[in-house]
Amino acid sequence: MTGDEWHDSFTRILLEQGVDPHEAQRLSEDSRAEAIAARRHPAQLFGPAAAYAVAVARAARPAPLLAPLARAKGPVVLRLTNVTKRFRRREVLRGVDLTLHAGEVAAVTGANGAGKSTLLDICAGTLKATSGVVERAARIGYAPQQHGVAPYLTADEHFRLFGAVHRMGARKAVATGAHLAAGLGWRPRAGVVASQLSGGTQQKLNVVLGELSRPDLILLDEPYQGFDQDSYLDLWAQVYAWRDAGAGVLVVTHLLHDLDKVDHLLELQGAEDR
Amino acid sequence: MLLAIAGTSLRELTRRRSALLLVIALPLAFYAARSDEPGQAVRFLALGVGWAVATLALFSHVGSRHLDRRLAVVGASPTALLLGRQLALLGTGFTIAGAYLVLVAVAQDVERLWAVALLLGTTVLVAAPLGAVVSLALPRELEGALALLAVMATQMLADPEGTLAKVLPLWSTRELTTYAVDATSDEFLRRGLLHFAVAFALCACGAWAAAVVRLRPNTPPEPAPA
Repeated sequence: MTGDEWHDSFTRILLEQGVDPHEAQRLSEDSRAEAIAARRHPAQLFGPAAAYAVAVARAARPAPLLAPLARAKGPVVLRLTNVTKRFRRREVLRGVDLTLHAGEVAAVTGANGAGKSTLLDICAGTLKATSGVVERAARIGYAPQQHGVAPYLTADEHFRLFGAVHRMGARKAVATGAHLAAGLGWRPRAGVVASQLSGGTQQKLNVVLGELSRPDLILLDEPYQGFDQDSYLDLWAQVYAWRDAGAGVLVVTHLLHDLDKVDHLLELQGAEDR
Repeated sequence: MLLAIAGTSLRELTRRRSALLLVIALPLAFYAARSDEPGQAVRFLALGVGWAVATLALFSHVGSRHLDRRLAVVGASPTALLLGRQLALLGTGFTIAGAYLVLVAVAQDVERLWAVALLLGTTVLVAAPLGAVVSLALPRELEGALALLAVMATQMLADPEGTLAKVLPLWSTRELTTYAVDATSDEFLRRGLLHFAVAFALCACGAWAAAVVRLRPNTPPEPAPA
Protein backbone atom coordinates (compact mmCIF):
# COMPACT_ATOMS: atom_id res chain seq x y z
CA MET A 1 0.00 0.00 0.00
CA THR A 2 1.42 3.39 -0.99
CA GLY A 3 1.30 6.37 1.34
CA ASP A 4 -1.51 7.95 -0.69
CA GLU A 5 -3.53 4.75 -0.54
CA TRP A 6 -3.01 4.59 3.22
CA HIS A 7 -4.30 8.17 3.59
CA ASP A 8 -7.28 7.47 1.29
CA SER A 9 -8.18 4.41 3.34
CA PHE A 10 -7.71 6.37 6.57
CA THR A 11 -10.03 9.15 5.37
CA ARG A 12 -12.67 6.72 4.12
CA ILE A 13 -12.80 4.82 7.41
CA LEU A 14 -12.97 8.08 9.37
CA LEU A 15 -16.05 8.99 7.36
CA GLU A 16 -17.56 5.55 7.90
CA GLN A 17 -17.00 6.01 11.61
CA GLY A 18 -19.17 9.11 11.60
CA VAL A 19 -16.46 11.80 11.61
CA ASP A 20 -17.50 15.06 9.98
CA PRO A 21 -16.06 15.25 6.40
CA HIS A 22 -14.17 18.50 7.09
CA GLU A 23 -12.76 17.08 10.30
CA ALA A 24 -11.82 13.84 8.53
CA GLN A 25 -9.99 15.82 5.86
CA ARG A 26 -8.15 17.84 8.48
CA LEU A 27 -7.13 14.71 10.40
CA SER A 28 -5.94 13.06 7.20
CA GLU A 29 -3.84 16.10 6.29
CA ASP A 30 -2.39 16.19 9.82
CA SER A 31 -1.37 12.54 9.63
CA ARG A 32 0.13 13.11 6.18
CA ALA A 33 2.14 16.07 7.47
CA GLU A 34 3.35 14.04 10.44
CA ALA A 35 4.46 11.17 8.22
CA ILE A 36 6.30 13.56 5.88
CA ALA A 37 7.97 15.30 8.81
CA ALA A 38 9.06 11.95 10.22
CA ARG A 39 10.12 10.76 6.72
CA ARG A 40 8.37 7.47 7.27
CA HIS A 41 5.56 5.54 5.62
CA PRO A 42 2.31 6.26 7.50
CA ALA A 43 1.82 2.54 8.14
CA GLN A 44 5.15 2.44 9.95
CA LEU A 45 4.31 5.53 11.95
CA PHE A 46 0.64 4.90 12.78
CA GLY A 47 0.05 1.23 12.05
CA PRO A 48 -2.79 -0.13 9.84
CA ALA A 49 -5.02 2.64 8.45
CA ALA A 50 -8.25 0.96 9.64
CA ALA A 51 -7.15 0.51 13.25
CA TYR A 52 -5.71 4.02 13.47
CA ALA A 53 -8.82 5.56 11.90
CA VAL A 54 -11.11 3.81 14.40
CA ALA A 55 -9.00 5.06 17.32
CA VAL A 56 -8.80 8.62 15.94
CA ALA A 57 -12.53 8.65 15.15
CA ARG A 58 -13.34 7.69 18.68
CA ALA A 59 -11.27 10.59 20.01
CA ALA A 60 -12.71 13.00 17.45
CA ARG A 61 -16.35 12.17 18.04
CA PRO A 62 -18.54 15.07 19.14
CA ALA A 63 -19.57 15.35 22.73
CA PRO A 64 -22.93 13.71 23.48
CA LEU A 65 -25.87 15.61 22.05
CA LEU A 66 -27.25 16.59 25.40
CA ALA A 67 -25.18 18.63 27.77
CA PRO A 68 -24.82 17.03 31.19
CA LEU A 69 -27.00 18.56 33.85
CA ALA A 70 -26.64 18.44 37.57
CA ARG A 71 -27.44 14.93 38.75
CA ALA A 72 -30.66 15.29 40.60
CA LYS A 73 -33.54 12.88 40.71
CA GLY A 74 -36.51 14.21 38.79
CA PRO A 75 -40.12 13.12 38.90
CA VAL A 76 -41.04 9.46 38.65
CA VAL A 77 -41.12 8.36 35.00
CA LEU A 78 -41.82 4.67 35.59
CA ARG A 79 -43.36 2.88 38.53
CA LEU A 80 -44.05 -0.86 38.62
CA THR A 81 -45.93 -2.20 41.61
CA ASN A 82 -46.23 -5.94 42.12
CA VAL A 83 -46.38 -6.58 38.37
CA THR A 84 -47.14 -10.14 37.33
CA LYS A 85 -47.39 -11.62 33.86
CA ARG A 86 -48.77 -15.02 33.06
CA PHE A 87 -49.07 -16.66 29.63
CA ARG A 88 -51.83 -19.20 30.17
CA ARG A 89 -50.51 -21.29 33.06
CA ARG A 90 -46.89 -20.20 32.71
CA GLU A 91 -45.94 -17.40 35.04
CA VAL A 92 -43.18 -15.27 33.49
CA LEU A 93 -43.06 -12.35 35.94
CA ARG A 94 -44.02 -12.32 39.58
CA GLY A 95 -44.19 -9.37 41.95
CA VAL A 96 -41.91 -7.00 40.07
CA ASP A 97 -41.44 -3.62 41.75
CA LEU A 98 -39.43 -0.71 40.39
CA THR A 99 -39.50 3.06 40.72
CA LEU A 100 -37.44 4.95 38.17
CA HIS A 101 -37.04 8.71 38.32
CA ALA A 102 -36.00 11.11 35.59
CA GLY A 103 -32.21 11.23 35.66
CA GLU A 104 -31.77 7.57 36.58
CA VAL A 105 -30.76 4.41 34.75
CA ALA A 106 -32.18 1.00 35.58
CA ALA A 107 -30.77 -2.22 34.19
CA VAL A 108 -32.94 -5.33 33.94
CA THR A 109 -30.90 -8.52 33.92
CA GLY A 110 -31.66 -12.21 33.99
CA ALA A 111 -31.11 -15.41 32.09
CA ASN A 112 -32.73 -16.21 28.76
CA GLY A 113 -36.45 -16.63 29.30
CA ALA A 114 -36.42 -14.75 32.58
CA GLY A 115 -38.99 -12.28 31.27
CA LYS A 116 -36.75 -9.28 30.52
CA SER A 117 -38.30 -8.49 27.14
CA THR A 118 -41.76 -9.22 28.49
CA LEU A 119 -41.21 -6.64 31.21
CA LEU A 120 -40.02 -4.08 28.67
CA ASP A 121 -43.06 -4.78 26.47
CA ILE A 122 -45.31 -4.22 29.47
CA CYS A 123 -43.57 -0.91 30.16
CA ALA A 124 -43.91 0.10 26.51
CA GLY A 125 -47.57 -0.91 26.39
CA THR A 126 -47.40 -3.65 23.75
CA LEU A 127 -48.31 -6.20 26.44
CA LYS A 128 -50.66 -5.93 29.38
CA ALA A 129 -49.66 -7.08 32.84
CA THR A 130 -51.79 -9.86 34.26
CA SER A 131 -51.88 -8.09 37.61
CA GLY A 132 -50.16 -5.23 39.38
CA VAL A 133 -49.92 -1.54 38.53
CA VAL A 134 -47.87 0.06 35.77
CA GLU A 135 -47.46 3.83 35.64
CA ARG A 136 -45.16 5.59 33.21
CA ALA A 137 -44.47 8.91 31.53
CA ALA A 138 -46.41 9.58 28.35
CA ARG A 139 -43.42 10.58 26.18
CA ILE A 140 -41.32 7.48 25.70
CA GLY A 141 -38.65 6.23 23.36
CA TYR A 142 -38.72 2.52 22.63
CA ALA A 143 -36.12 0.33 20.94
CA PRO A 144 -37.33 -3.28 20.77
CA GLN A 145 -34.93 -6.19 20.55
CA GLN A 146 -36.07 -7.29 17.09
CA HIS A 147 -37.91 -5.90 14.06
CA GLY A 148 -37.34 -2.30 15.16
CA VAL A 149 -36.59 -1.02 11.66
CA ALA A 150 -38.14 -1.37 8.19
CA PRO A 151 -35.84 -3.33 5.86
CA TYR A 152 -36.77 -1.36 2.73
CA LEU A 153 -36.33 2.15 4.14
CA THR A 154 -33.13 4.19 4.37
CA ALA A 155 -31.96 5.72 7.65
CA ASP A 156 -33.13 9.20 6.62
CA GLU A 157 -36.57 7.83 5.69
CA HIS A 158 -36.77 6.24 9.13
CA PHE A 159 -35.86 9.57 10.72
CA ARG A 160 -38.51 11.40 8.70
CA LEU A 161 -41.18 8.79 9.49
CA PHE A 162 -40.52 8.75 13.22
CA GLY A 163 -40.08 12.53 13.17
CA ALA A 164 -43.55 12.88 11.63
CA VAL A 165 -45.02 10.81 14.47
CA HIS A 166 -43.25 13.10 16.96
CA ARG A 167 -44.44 16.18 15.01
CA MET A 168 -40.89 17.15 14.06
CA GLY A 169 -40.09 18.71 10.72
CA ALA A 170 -38.36 16.43 8.22
CA ARG A 171 -35.11 18.43 8.22
CA LYS A 172 -34.92 18.56 11.98
CA ALA A 173 -35.63 14.83 12.25
CA VAL A 174 -32.89 13.95 9.76
CA ALA A 175 -30.38 16.34 11.38
CA THR A 176 -31.14 15.01 14.87
CA GLY A 177 -30.93 11.42 13.68
CA ALA A 178 -27.59 12.04 11.97
CA HIS A 179 -26.19 13.71 15.10
CA LEU A 180 -27.31 10.85 17.35
CA ALA A 181 -25.89 8.33 14.87
CA ALA A 182 -22.54 10.13 14.94
CA GLY A 183 -22.52 9.68 18.70
CA LEU A 184 -22.60 5.94 18.09
CA GLY A 185 -19.84 6.11 15.50
CA TRP A 186 -22.05 5.82 12.44
CA ARG A 187 -22.76 8.13 9.51
CA PRO A 188 -25.88 7.05 7.59
CA ARG A 189 -25.26 6.90 3.86
CA ALA A 190 -27.88 8.14 1.42
CA GLY A 191 -29.70 5.49 -0.58
CA VAL A 192 -28.71 2.54 1.61
CA VAL A 193 -31.76 0.71 2.95
CA ALA A 194 -31.75 -0.94 6.37
CA SER A 195 -31.56 -4.49 5.01
CA GLN A 196 -28.20 -3.60 3.44
CA LEU A 197 -26.73 -2.51 6.79
CA SER A 198 -24.83 -4.85 9.08
CA GLY A 199 -26.65 -6.21 12.12
CA GLY A 200 -24.79 -3.83 14.42
CA THR A 201 -25.57 -0.80 12.28
CA GLN A 202 -29.25 -1.76 12.07
CA GLN A 203 -29.20 -1.86 15.85
CA LYS A 204 -27.65 1.62 15.98
CA LEU A 205 -30.51 2.85 13.78
CA ASN A 206 -32.93 1.12 16.15
CA VAL A 207 -31.40 2.91 19.15
CA VAL A 208 -31.31 6.30 17.42
CA LEU A 209 -35.02 6.01 16.57
CA GLY A 210 -35.74 5.34 20.24
CA GLU A 211 -34.11 8.61 21.27
CA LEU A 212 -35.10 10.84 18.35
CA SER A 213 -37.68 12.91 20.22
CA ARG A 214 -35.73 13.38 23.50
CA PRO A 215 -38.34 11.43 25.46
CA ASP A 216 -38.80 11.43 29.22
CA LEU A 217 -38.36 7.65 29.42
CA ILE A 218 -36.20 5.52 27.11
CA LEU A 219 -36.78 1.76 26.94
CA LEU A 220 -33.97 -0.26 25.35
CA ASP A 221 -34.08 -4.03 24.87
CA GLU A 222 -30.55 -5.45 24.57
CA PRO A 223 -29.56 -2.51 22.37
CA TYR A 224 -25.93 -3.51 21.84
CA GLN A 225 -26.49 -6.67 19.80
CA GLY A 226 -24.01 -6.81 16.93
CA PHE A 227 -22.03 -3.84 18.29
CA ASP A 228 -18.25 -3.89 18.29
CA GLN A 229 -16.42 -2.97 21.50
CA ASP A 230 -16.16 0.75 20.69
CA SER A 231 -19.83 1.01 19.77
CA TYR A 232 -20.75 -0.81 22.97
CA LEU A 233 -18.81 1.75 25.00
CA ASP A 234 -20.34 4.59 22.97
CA LEU A 235 -23.80 3.24 23.73
CA TRP A 236 -23.24 3.29 27.47
CA ALA A 237 -21.75 6.78 27.18
CA GLN A 238 -24.96 7.81 25.41
CA VAL A 239 -27.13 6.13 28.04
CA TYR A 240 -25.41 8.08 30.80
CA ALA A 241 -25.59 11.28 28.75
CA TRP A 242 -29.36 10.82 28.41
CA ARG A 243 -29.57 10.18 32.12
CA ASP A 244 -27.54 13.28 32.93
CA ALA A 245 -29.81 15.29 30.66
CA GLY A 246 -32.81 14.25 32.73
CA ALA A 247 -34.27 11.19 31.00
CA GLY A 248 -35.09 7.96 32.77
CA VAL A 249 -33.52 4.98 30.98
CA LEU A 250 -34.51 1.34 31.35
CA VAL A 251 -32.03 -1.04 29.69
CA VAL A 252 -32.64 -4.74 29.32
CA THR A 253 -29.32 -6.57 29.23
CA HIS A 254 -27.91 -10.01 29.81
CA LEU A 255 -24.37 -8.66 30.24
CA LEU A 256 -23.51 -8.15 33.88
CA HIS A 257 -20.39 -6.04 33.47
CA ASP A 258 -20.46 -2.26 33.03
CA LEU A 259 -23.43 -2.04 35.38
CA ASP A 260 -21.57 -0.39 38.25
CA LYS A 261 -22.91 3.08 37.35
CA VAL A 262 -26.58 2.21 37.00
CA ASP A 263 -28.97 3.47 39.67
CA HIS A 264 -31.17 0.37 39.84
CA LEU A 265 -30.41 -3.23 39.06
CA LEU A 266 -33.46 -5.44 38.67
CA GLU A 267 -32.57 -9.10 38.38
CA LEU A 268 -35.33 -11.35 37.11
CA GLN A 269 -35.18 -14.97 38.18
CA GLY A 270 -37.14 -16.63 35.40
CA ALA A 271 -40.08 -19.01 35.61
CA GLU A 272 -37.89 -22.13 35.62
CA ASP A 273 -36.43 -21.17 38.98
CA ARG A 274 -39.70 -20.86 40.80
CA MET B 1 -48.24 12.03 9.65
CA LEU B 2 -50.67 10.36 7.24
CA LEU B 3 -48.72 11.54 4.20
CA ALA B 4 -45.40 10.51 5.76
CA ILE B 5 -46.73 7.00 6.38
CA ALA B 6 -48.21 6.80 2.87
CA GLY B 7 -44.98 8.07 1.30
CA THR B 8 -42.71 5.66 3.13
CA SER B 9 -45.12 2.81 2.50
CA LEU B 10 -45.09 3.58 -1.22
CA ARG B 11 -41.29 3.58 -1.23
CA GLU B 12 -41.24 0.21 0.52
CA LEU B 13 -43.66 -1.21 -2.05
CA THR B 14 -41.65 0.02 -5.01
CA ARG B 15 -38.43 -1.40 -3.56
CA ARG B 16 -39.86 -4.92 -3.38
CA ARG B 17 -39.27 -5.14 -7.11
CA SER B 18 -39.54 -8.90 -7.60
CA ALA B 19 -42.80 -9.07 -5.68
CA LEU B 20 -44.13 -6.02 -7.52
CA LEU B 21 -43.26 -7.49 -10.92
CA LEU B 22 -44.96 -10.76 -10.08
CA VAL B 23 -48.01 -8.90 -8.85
CA ILE B 24 -48.17 -6.90 -12.07
CA ALA B 25 -47.69 -10.04 -14.15
CA LEU B 26 -50.50 -12.00 -12.46
CA PRO B 27 -53.44 -10.15 -14.09
CA LEU B 28 -51.61 -10.21 -17.41
CA ALA B 29 -51.28 -13.98 -17.22
CA PHE B 30 -54.99 -14.31 -16.41
CA TYR B 31 -55.84 -11.99 -19.30
CA ALA B 32 -53.59 -13.81 -21.74
CA ALA B 33 -55.11 -17.15 -20.83
CA ARG B 34 -58.56 -15.96 -21.94
CA SER B 35 -57.69 -13.27 -24.48
CA ASP B 36 -59.66 -15.06 -27.20
CA GLU B 37 -62.93 -14.42 -25.33
CA PRO B 38 -63.34 -10.68 -24.56
CA GLY B 39 -65.83 -11.14 -21.72
CA GLN B 40 -63.86 -13.78 -19.94
CA ALA B 41 -60.57 -11.98 -20.59
CA VAL B 42 -61.78 -8.79 -18.88
CA ARG B 43 -63.41 -10.78 -16.07
CA PHE B 44 -60.23 -12.74 -15.35
CA LEU B 45 -58.09 -9.63 -15.74
CA ALA B 46 -60.15 -7.78 -13.13
CA LEU B 47 -60.10 -10.70 -10.71
CA GLY B 48 -56.35 -10.93 -11.29
CA VAL B 49 -55.97 -7.24 -10.44
CA GLY B 50 -58.00 -7.83 -7.28
CA TRP B 51 -55.92 -10.84 -6.32
CA ALA B 52 -52.67 -8.95 -7.00
CA VAL B 53 -53.65 -5.87 -4.99
CA ALA B 54 -54.98 -7.98 -2.09
CA THR B 55 -51.72 -9.96 -2.03
CA LEU B 56 -49.67 -6.77 -2.11
CA ALA B 57 -51.76 -5.41 0.76
CA LEU B 58 -51.27 -8.63 2.69
CA PHE B 59 -47.48 -8.51 2.31
CA SER B 60 -47.32 -4.79 3.05
CA HIS B 61 -49.34 -5.03 6.26
CA VAL B 62 -47.63 -8.23 7.49
CA GLY B 63 -44.19 -6.76 6.75
CA SER B 64 -44.91 -3.52 8.58
CA ARG B 65 -46.66 -4.97 11.61
CA HIS B 66 -43.72 -4.73 14.03
CA LEU B 67 -42.75 -1.26 12.89
CA ASP B 68 -46.36 -0.08 13.08
CA ARG B 69 -46.64 -1.41 16.60
CA ARG B 70 -43.49 0.49 17.54
CA LEU B 71 -44.82 3.66 15.91
CA ALA B 72 -48.12 3.23 17.76
CA VAL B 73 -46.29 2.91 21.08
CA VAL B 74 -44.58 6.26 20.57
CA GLY B 75 -47.72 8.05 19.52
CA ALA B 76 -48.89 7.15 16.01
CA SER B 77 -52.62 6.57 15.66
CA PRO B 78 -53.52 3.04 14.46
CA THR B 79 -56.09 4.63 12.16
CA ALA B 80 -53.44 6.85 10.56
CA LEU B 81 -51.09 3.88 10.17
CA LEU B 82 -53.79 1.84 8.43
CA LEU B 83 -54.96 4.74 6.25
CA GLY B 84 -51.42 5.70 5.27
CA ARG B 85 -50.56 2.19 4.13
CA GLN B 86 -53.92 1.82 2.38
CA LEU B 87 -53.38 5.10 0.50
CA ALA B 88 -50.07 3.77 -0.83
CA LEU B 89 -51.69 0.47 -1.82
CA LEU B 90 -54.64 2.18 -3.51
CA GLY B 91 -52.25 4.41 -5.44
CA THR B 92 -50.30 1.37 -6.61
CA GLY B 93 -53.49 -0.55 -7.37
CA PHE B 94 -55.04 2.27 -9.41
CA THR B 95 -51.80 2.60 -11.38
CA ILE B 96 -51.83 -1.11 -12.24
CA ALA B 97 -55.55 -0.95 -13.04
CA GLY B 98 -55.02 2.11 -15.24
CA ALA B 99 -52.32 0.34 -17.24
CA TYR B 100 -54.59 -2.65 -17.81
CA LEU B 101 -57.49 -0.38 -18.77
CA VAL B 102 -55.30 0.96 -21.56
CA LEU B 103 -54.57 -2.64 -22.61
CA VAL B 104 -58.29 -3.46 -22.74
CA ALA B 105 -59.05 -0.27 -24.66
CA VAL B 106 -56.42 -1.10 -27.26
CA ALA B 107 -56.87 -4.86 -27.56
CA GLN B 108 -60.59 -5.46 -26.97
CA ASP B 109 -63.79 -4.23 -28.53
CA VAL B 110 -65.73 -3.51 -25.35
CA GLU B 111 -69.23 -2.01 -25.35
CA ARG B 112 -68.82 0.15 -22.25
CA LEU B 113 -65.19 1.03 -21.63
CA TRP B 114 -66.11 3.44 -18.83
CA ALA B 115 -67.68 0.49 -17.01
CA VAL B 116 -64.39 -1.42 -17.31
CA ALA B 117 -62.69 1.54 -15.60
CA LEU B 118 -65.41 1.46 -12.95
CA LEU B 119 -65.07 -2.28 -12.29
CA LEU B 120 -61.26 -2.11 -12.12
CA GLY B 121 -61.54 0.80 -9.68
CA THR B 122 -64.09 -0.93 -7.45
CA THR B 123 -62.00 -4.10 -7.51
CA VAL B 124 -58.95 -2.21 -6.26
CA LEU B 125 -61.05 -0.46 -3.60
CA VAL B 126 -62.26 -3.80 -2.21
CA ALA B 127 -58.97 -5.69 -2.63
CA ALA B 128 -56.72 -3.31 -0.66
CA PRO B 129 -58.71 -3.48 2.62
CA LEU B 130 -59.39 -7.19 1.98
CA GLY B 131 -55.64 -7.86 2.05
CA ALA B 132 -55.39 -5.81 5.24
CA VAL B 133 -58.18 -7.81 6.91
CA VAL B 134 -56.47 -11.11 6.00
CA SER B 135 -53.08 -9.84 7.22
CA LEU B 136 -54.53 -8.77 10.53
CA ALA B 137 -56.41 -12.06 11.01
CA LEU B 138 -53.56 -14.30 9.79
CA PRO B 139 -50.27 -12.69 10.82
CA ARG B 140 -47.98 -14.79 8.60
CA GLU B 141 -47.50 -14.30 4.87
CA LEU B 142 -47.88 -17.97 3.90
CA GLU B 143 -51.15 -18.50 5.75
CA GLY B 144 -52.49 -15.20 4.47
CA ALA B 145 -51.53 -15.96 0.88
CA LEU B 146 -53.23 -19.37 1.11
CA ALA B 147 -56.36 -17.75 2.50
CA LEU B 148 -56.43 -15.27 -0.39
CA LEU B 149 -55.83 -18.12 -2.82
CA ALA B 150 -58.87 -19.92 -1.42
CA VAL B 151 -61.07 -16.82 -1.62
CA MET B 152 -60.02 -15.77 -5.11
CA ALA B 153 -60.03 -19.26 -6.62
CA THR B 154 -63.51 -19.87 -5.22
CA GLN B 155 -64.62 -16.51 -6.58
CA MET B 156 -63.42 -17.54 -10.04
CA LEU B 157 -64.89 -21.03 -9.99
CA ALA B 158 -68.18 -20.54 -8.17
CA ASP B 159 -71.43 -20.16 -10.13
CA PRO B 160 -72.09 -16.37 -10.22
CA GLU B 161 -75.78 -16.99 -9.58
CA GLY B 162 -75.11 -19.14 -6.52
CA THR B 163 -75.09 -17.97 -2.94
CA LEU B 164 -71.44 -18.88 -2.44
CA ALA B 165 -70.25 -16.48 -5.15
CA LYS B 166 -72.42 -13.68 -3.78
CA VAL B 167 -70.96 -13.82 -0.28
CA LEU B 168 -67.42 -13.55 -1.63
CA PRO B 169 -65.87 -10.06 -1.81
CA LEU B 170 -65.42 -9.66 -5.57
CA TRP B 171 -68.80 -10.81 -6.86
CA SER B 172 -69.39 -7.18 -7.84
CA THR B 173 -66.45 -7.45 -10.25
CA ARG B 174 -68.16 -10.30 -12.11
CA GLU B 175 -71.49 -8.46 -12.29
CA LEU B 176 -69.90 -5.22 -13.46
CA THR B 177 -67.86 -7.10 -16.06
CA THR B 178 -71.02 -8.63 -17.46
CA TYR B 179 -72.54 -5.14 -17.64
CA ALA B 180 -69.45 -3.69 -19.31
CA VAL B 181 -68.74 -6.43 -21.83
CA ASP B 182 -72.07 -8.04 -22.63
CA ALA B 183 -74.09 -4.80 -22.77
CA THR B 184 -76.70 -6.18 -20.39
CA SER B 185 -79.36 -4.20 -18.54
CA ASP B 186 -78.69 -1.64 -15.84
CA GLU B 187 -79.77 -4.24 -13.30
CA PHE B 188 -76.24 -5.73 -13.43
CA LEU B 189 -74.77 -2.31 -12.76
CA ARG B 190 -77.10 -1.69 -9.82
CA ARG B 191 -76.46 -5.12 -8.27
CA GLY B 192 -72.73 -4.81 -8.82
CA LEU B 193 -72.49 -1.39 -7.22
CA LEU B 194 -74.67 -2.44 -4.29
CA HIS B 195 -72.50 -5.51 -3.66
CA PHE B 196 -69.37 -3.38 -4.01
CA ALA B 197 -70.67 -0.89 -1.44
CA VAL B 198 -71.41 -3.64 1.07
CA ALA B 199 -68.11 -5.51 0.44
CA PHE B 200 -66.09 -2.29 0.63
CA ALA B 201 -67.79 -1.20 3.86
CA LEU B 202 -67.26 -4.62 5.46
CA CYS B 203 -63.61 -4.89 4.41
CA ALA B 204 -62.79 -1.29 5.37
CA CYS B 205 -64.51 -1.54 8.74
CA GLY B 206 -62.98 -4.97 9.39
CA ALA B 207 -59.49 -3.71 8.55
CA TRP B 208 -59.95 -0.63 10.73
CA ALA B 209 -61.29 -2.62 13.70
CA ALA B 210 -58.51 -5.20 13.42
CA ALA B 211 -55.85 -2.48 13.13
CA VAL B 212 -57.13 -0.71 16.22
CA VAL B 213 -57.30 -3.95 18.22
CA ARG B 214 -53.85 -5.11 17.12
CA LEU B 215 -51.95 -1.82 17.15
CA ARG B 216 -53.49 0.25 19.91
CA PRO B 217 -51.01 0.23 22.79
CA ASN B 218 -52.08 -0.40 26.32
CA THR B 219 -50.91 3.01 27.50
CA PRO B 220 -50.38 3.03 31.27
CA PRO B 221 -51.39 6.07 33.32
CA GLU B 222 -48.79 8.66 34.20
CA PRO B 223 -47.15 8.18 37.61
CA ALA B 224 -48.64 10.02 40.53
CA PRO B 225 -46.12 12.31 42.26
CA ALA B 226 -44.21 10.50 45.00
